[in-house]
Amino acid sequence: MTRYLSIRLLLTLITFWVIVTAVFFLLRLAPGGPFDGERRLPPEVEQNLRAAYNLDQPLPRQYLNYLLMLGHGDLGPSFKQKDFSVAELVISGLPVSLTVGVMALVMALTGGIVLGTWAGLNTGTKTDLLIMGTANIGLAVPAIVVAPLLALIFAVWLGWLPAGGTGGPLHFLLPATALSLPFIAAIARLTRGSVAETLQEPHITTAMSKGLPRQRIIRRHVLPIALLPVLSYTGPAAAALLTGSVVVEQIFELPGIGRYFVQAALNRDYTLVMGVVIVYAAFILLFNLLVDVCYARLDPRIRLRS
Amino acid sequence: MNSRWLREALFGSSLARVCSTWLALMVLAALAGPALSPWDPQAINWDALDNPPSSSHWLGTDMIGRDLLTRIMLGARISLSVALIATAVSVVIGIPYGTLAGYLGGRADQLMMRIVDSLYALPFILIVILLVVVFGRSQLLLFAALGAVFWLDIARIVRGQTLRIRESDYIAAARIQGAGPTRILIRHLIPNVLGPAVVYATLTVPGVILAESFISFLGLGVQEPDTSWGVLIADGAQNMESAPWALVFPALALAATVWSLNMLGDRLRDQLDVQAARV
Amino acid sequence: MSPSRKRVDCNRTSLRQRAVALAIVIFSLCASAASVAQPGTVLRLGNPGEPQTLDPHRYNLRLEETLLTDLFIGLTTFAADGSTIPGVASSWQVSDDGLRWTFNLRPDLTWSDGQPLTADDFVFAYQRLQAPATAASLAYFMYPLKNAAAVNAGKMPVEALGVSAPDSRTLILELEQPYPHLLERLLYPTAYPLPKHAIETHGDSWVKAENWVSNGAYRLQEWRPQAYVHLVANAHFNPAPAITEVFYYPLANEQTAYNRYRAGEVDAIATFPSGELDYARRELTADLRTSVQLSIMYLVFNSRVEPFSDARVREALAMMMQPEVLTDKVQRSGNVASRSFVPAMVSDYQSVPGPQYQLDLAERLSRGKALLAEAGFSPDRPLEITLRYISGAEAKRTALTIAAFWKPLGVKTQLHQAELKVHFADLRQGDFQVAQAGWIGENNAEHYLSLLVSDTGDVNYGGFADDQFDAMMASARQEADLDERNRLLRVADERAVGLYPVVPMYSLGVRRLVNPKLRGWNNTPRDVHPVRFLSLEP
Repeated sequence: MTRYLSIRLLLTLITFWVIVTAVFFLLRLAPGGPFDGERRLPPEVEQNLRAAYNLDQPLPRQYLNYLLMLGHGDLGPSFKQKDFSVAELVISGLPVSLTVGVMALVMALTGGIVLGTWAGLNTGTKTDLLIMGTANIGLAVPAIVVAPLLALIFAVWLGWLPAGGTGGPLHFLLPATALSLPFIAAIARLTRGSVAETLQEPHITTAMSKGLPRQRIIRRHVLPIALLPVLSYTGPAAAALLTGSVVVEQIFELPGIGRYFVQAALNRDYTLVMGVVIVYAAFILLFNLLVDVCYARLDPRIRLRS
Repeated sequence: MNSRWLREALFGSSLARVCSTWLALMVLAALAGPALSPWDPQAINWDALDNPPSSSHWLGTDMIGRDLLTRIMLGARISLSVALIATAVSVVIGIPYGTLAGYLGGRADQLMMRIVDSLYALPFILIVILLVVVFGRSQLLLFAALGAVFWLDIARIVRGQTLRIRESDYIAAARIQGAGPTRILIRHLIPNVLGPAVVYATLTVPGVILAESFISFLGLGVQEPDTSWGVLIADGAQNMESAPWALVFPALALAATVWSLNMLGDRLRDQLDVQAARV
Repeated sequence: MSPSRKRVDCNRTSLRQRAVALAIVIFSLCASAASVAQPGTVLRLGNPGEPQTLDPHRYNLRLEETLLTDLFIGLTTFAADGSTIPGVASSWQVSDDGLRWTFNLRPDLTWSDGQPLTADDFVFAYQRLQAPATAASLAYFMYPLKNAAAVNAGKMPVEALGVSAPDSRTLILELEQPYPHLLERLLYPTAYPLPKHAIETHGDSWVKAENWVSNGAYRLQEWRPQAYVHLVANAHFNPAPAITEVFYYPLANEQTAYNRYRAGEVDAIATFPSGELDYARRELTADLRTSVQLSIMYLVFNSRVEPFSDARVREALAMMMQPEVLTDKVQRSGNVASRSFVPAMVSDYQSVPGPQYQLDLAERLSRGKALLAEAGFSPDRPLEITLRYISGAEAKRTALTIAAFWKPLGVKTQLHQAELKVHFADLRQGDFQVAQAGWIGENNAEHYLSLLVSDTGDVNYGGFADDQFDAMMASARQEADLDERNRLLRVADERAVGLYPVVPMYSLGVRRLVNPKLRGWNNTPRDVHPVRFLSLEP
C-alpha cells in the first residue's frame, strides 16, 4: 500500500510539473502581450511596464524565476488586476467555485445514483427507457443553453431565485443545477449498467433465489459493488465539474476563479492564468489521489496485492 | 464481425429507428442541405432581418436576414466534421496506445495506464481554450486539440479488450507460427479491438460536439461566414427573448443529435456486451 | 398495526413539517434577496466589467474611470449635465502665450482621513504619474505638461516636470505648447491629486480598502474581486451626497446584466443585449435611457501596403459605405451613423462629411467601379480584401454588412476576427489590410484628427502620411486662440477627408436601464453619471 501510494504521489507531482511548464511556455507563444490595449502606449512606457513585471528578461530566466517563486508558495502579482496578488484573487474566488462544484457534485451523485439504480433494476422495461431517455436530455442540452434558460425562468419570470452574483446559498442553486444536469445523466448511465451487471453475478442470483428480501439484497450486496465504478468516476467528474464551472460562472456572474481564467487568458495576464491552472490542477490531482486511495481500500484486488 | 448485432442496435426498436433516421437526416443535411436550399447561407437579405419562422423561411432568419435553416445545415457540416475528425484522431492515438499497453502487460502496462489516469485529471477544457487563444481559431487545431483530449477513453477500453484477446488461442497459434510482436499487434490485435473501439467512439462524438459549443460560447469558435451549431447557439442566446427561434432551433438540432448518438451508443455497447458474452 | 410502522408514520409527519419549514425559509430568503437595499441610501450599479485597479495612475479602462469619478475630484470636474466646472480649483489664470496656467485651490480642502489637501499633493501626483517606475500606461494624457515626455522616458529627473506649488493653495502648470483644452484634460483620473501622506506610508498597497484615502464624495470601503466594489460617503466631503453607499457590480455578460436588472437586483446597468432594444423601447419605457457617446468607429486602410497605398482604391471602397443602413437597419443598437471623422457632436466645431456623400448611391457605385478599373482591377482580376474585426456579435454583423456593401464593386472580402488584444496588437504593428477601429475621444476635434498625423505613432494604425496635412496640423497646434485653432483644424480636416485614410461609420450608442426612482440621472456626452448628484426616491 505504501509503495503504491508513493508511486502515485510521485506521478502526481510529475504531472503537476508538466502542466506548469506546458502552460507557462504556451502562454508566451500567444500573439499579443499583456500591455496591448485600445489606447496608445508610447515605447518608453511599455518599456517601463515590461521592466516592472520582469518581462524584459530572457524566457528561460523568467521560467526559472517563476518556478522559484512557486517554490516559495507565491503565485506572483497579477498583470491586470493590479491591486491584488494572484494568491489574493484565488483565495477570494476559490470558495465560490468550490461551493458550486461541491453542490453540483452532490446533486449529480444523488440524482445519478438514484435514477441509475432505478433504471438498472428495471433494465429493458419502459421505466428504464423513460428514465434514461430523460436523463440523457440533461447530457444532450449544453450548459450554454440550460444556464440562461434557468436564469430567465426562475429569476426573471418567476422571481424565485437570484439571477446572478453572490449573497447567500440561494445564489448557488441555479448555477449548481445547470452544472450538475449532464453529470446526473452520466452517473445514471454508469450506475444503471453497473447495477444491471451486478444483478447477474452468481452470488446475487443465489441470494435472490433463496428468497431474501429484495430491498435488503440491493442495499447490502448490489449497491456496494455496483457503485465502485461510480466512485472511480468521481475523480474525472470533479475535474469536469470544476472546469465546467467556467461557463456557469460567466453566465451567472459568480465571482469564482473560473471567471478569471477566460478573462485572464484573453488579457494575456500570464501570472493569473498560471495561478488558476495551478489551483485547478492541484485540486483535481489531489482529489484523484484521494479517490484512488479510497478505491484501493475498497477494491479487494488492489487490497490483496499489497 | 457479424453485422446482425449492428443492425439490431441501429434498427432493433422504434426508438432506435427514430434515432438512426435523425442522424441520417443530419448527415444528409450537412452534405447536401446548403446546396438544396433556395437561400444562400452567406447572403445578407435586407428585407428579412430577424424574421420569425414563415413559409419562405421555415425556421426564421438571423439578425442580418440569413435563412436559419440553411445556416443550421451549414453548421451541421462543421459541427459533425469537427466531431468525426476529432473522434478519428482519438481513435488513431487511442488504439495503438491501448493495444501496446495491453500487449506488453506488466510494468509497461501499469506505467502507461498510470499516465492515462493522470491525464484524466487535467483541466482539459482549459487547455483547449488556451490552445485556441494561443494559436488562433484554426479549425484544424480545434480538431486536433479535441481529439487529443478524447483519446483516453478509447485507450482504456482497447487495453481491456487486448488483455482479454491476448491470451486467446489464435494469438497463441500465431505466436507458435513464429509471428513477431509487431506482426501480432498489427495483424491480429488491432483488427480485433477495432469493433469495440469504434462503438465507444460513437460515445465520443457527442462529447466533442458539446465541447465545440462550449468553445464557441466563449467566442473562440469558427470564423464567419462559416458557422457551427455552437456559434449559432451562442449568437441566438444574445436575444433569447426577442428572437427565440434563433436559439431554439440550433439548440434543438444539437440536442437531438447528441441525444440520438448517446441512445444509439448505449444500445451498441449493450449489444456488444451481449455479443462478447455469447463468444 | 405494529409499533414500528407507527414510528415510520411519525417520522413522515415530521419530515413533512420539516419540508414545509424549509420551504418557508427558502421563500423568505428569496424575498429578502429581492429587497436587500434600504431605499434612498444604498445604490446598486452595474459596471460593464471588473476594474483592474483603482490607482488613478495605473487605470486603463472606462469602467475604472466611472469609479474613480466618484472617489476623487480634480482641479476641474464634471457637472451633473456632464459639462466641465471648477473642482478643487476655485479659479485660474492663463498667461498670454498660453503656456503658464495658475490654479487657485479652494480653502479648507481635506482628504477622507481628515488630513489637509494641499497643492503639494498635486505636485506629488503629477510627478508620480510621469516617473518611469510607476509605469503608468496613460501617462501621456499629461504630456502637454512641460518636459513630461522626457521625464516619462527617464531622460530627465521628475523635478524637471512643469508643475510647481509656490504655496499650499497655488498650483502652477507650465506647458510644452499652447493647449487650450487643458481644463478638459484635467477631468481624467491622471490629473487627480493623490494623498502623498498615505502613499508614502503604505507604498503600492495604499489602494487597499484599509489604507484608502481619497478626496471625492466617496471612499473605498471594500472590494471583493469579481463580486462588487463597495463605496461609502466621505464624511469630509461637502456637500454630503444623498446616496450614502454605492455597490458597483461587475456585470460583464450583457444578458446577465439585463436579467439582474429585471429581477430587481441592481438599480442601473451600463448596457444590455442590443437585440433587446426594441423590446425595451416597448416594455421598459420608464427605465430605458439611450444616448450617444463622444466617439467614432471607423474602418482604417493600411496606407503602407498595396493596393491601399493607392488613394483611388481607398476612395472606391469609401464610396460604398452607407452608415445609416449599417446603424439603422443592421445594428439597431442605438449607434448613430457618422459621415465625418470628427463626430458631429463635438462642440464649437463644424464637422467635415466625406465628399463621397455628395453623390447618390448609383453614382457612387459607377464612380467606385471606375476608380477600381483605373487602379487596375477588373472582373478577371478582382480586388481581394481581408477585413479584420474584433470578436463580438455586433462587430461581426458590421463586418458582414461592409462585405455586402463592397460586393457590387466586384470586391471579394475575407473576414478575419480576433479578440480585442490580438486585434489591436496587429493594428499597431500594421499587420492588416482593412480593419475596424474606434476612438473614444474628448470634446475637441484635435483629439480625433491627431490620429492621422504621420508622427503620431502606432495609433495612426494605417500609417497615413501626408506632408500637407501634417503641416496644417502643426500650425493649428501652435495657435493658443481656440476659435482660430478650430478654423485651422478644419482646413486640415478638409485636406484629410479627400484622401480617405479612414472611412467613418458611427458614434457609439449608449443603452442603459435605470431605475425610474433614481433622480438626477442625465444623459451626458461622455456618459458620466457622478453618484453624488443622484438620489433614490423611496
